[in-house]
Amino acid sequence: MVAEQDLKEIIRILLECSQGNVLSLADQKEIAEKFDCLLCDIEKIALEHSIVPARFTRNSLSCHEQLRLFQSRVAIIGCGGLGGRTAELLARIGIGHLTLTDPDIFSESNLNRQIFCNAETLGYNKVEVISSELQKINPVLTTDIHINTFDAASVAEADIVIDGLDSATARKDLVKLCQKQNIPIVHGAVKEWYGQIGVDRSANNLVCSLYPQATNSATAPNVMPMTVALLAAMQAAEVCKFLLGKGSLIDEGWLQCDLLFSEYDHIKNTLC
Amino acid sequence: MRVQVKLFAFFREGRFVKEDKELPEGTTAGAVVDDLNIDREEVGVLMINSRHCKFETVLQEGDIYAIFPVIGGG
Repeated sequence: MVAEQDLKEIIRILLECSQGNVLSLADQKEIAEKFDCLLCDIEKIALEHSIVPARFTRNSLSCHEQLRLFQSRVAIIGCGGLGGRTAELLARIGIGHLTLTDPDIFSESNLNRQIFCNAETLGYNKVEVISSELQKINPVLTTDIHINTFDAASVAEADIVIDGLDSATARKDLVKLCQKQNIPIVHGAVKEWYGQIGVDRSANNLVCSLYPQATNSATAPNVMPMTVALLAAMQAAEVCKFLLGKGSLIDEGWLQCDLLFSEYDHIKNTLC
Repeated sequence: MRVQVKLFAFFREGRFVKEDKELPEGTTAGAVVDDLNIDREEVGVLMINSRHCKFETVLQEGDIYAIFPVIGGG
């Protein structure tokens, strides 16, 4: 927290060093140290005074929009292929807080598609590695990590949730949890060259429509890295559009993505 | 009767993207799935004329019938 008496002086220094425009990370760190506060405290003050951190000058977002993303909390449930990549994209664009939940460690079969899986991170908890790597990308980002399957704490205070899960039953449990609290879920799922993405809300019951049968596949599906990268990018975009009030083309159903036949179909969900 | 069958995702592999089929009256959505050697457990959404249907739904002349697999990875 910033002391009341320091605020005026911080604003004066911010305006001076940014020339009223762009704030470097080095200056941001120096100001935070000088006033014994956090980088995120300085980021908030800067954005509130129309000063954009240099990290975001190529985002094509207004200062107001950047502040909205900074003040947002996104919960990522399942930090494998989709979850890890969405985490990376959301950290880069400037989401202020991410809650990461996954019980697993990185293993060799993750190397083909999970962005933070490499020879050095094998055997380490996914959420610990991801949280630490995100700090290098966006040192102002704050994260909570949960090394377990999700529970109410995983989505507490979230504005929106990303579904990076890999089983139908877990997805349905997540829907129950989020619908109780009226938190939208950006659903994504992948297999081989194919994927699907949509936004589950209480009103549309998307996930239950997509998984009408209760059974889970006995074996983990094979997934191409390109499919994961594409669908994760789409999930991250839907999160940002929701937070910025931009609406979405896939509000009424889901987008079926086929990278092998190069076909992308909007399917309207008639079960809502 | 004539029905257009559309397949999505990996159901297309070794089969087709869309095909017009001549089917006996009374054919159900599930019977078409079985004829295509698709495991019913792998089926996610079934739609006739862009509306959700069930395996038991009987197809009608001129229907467009879409079969989507469960896609579950993350």
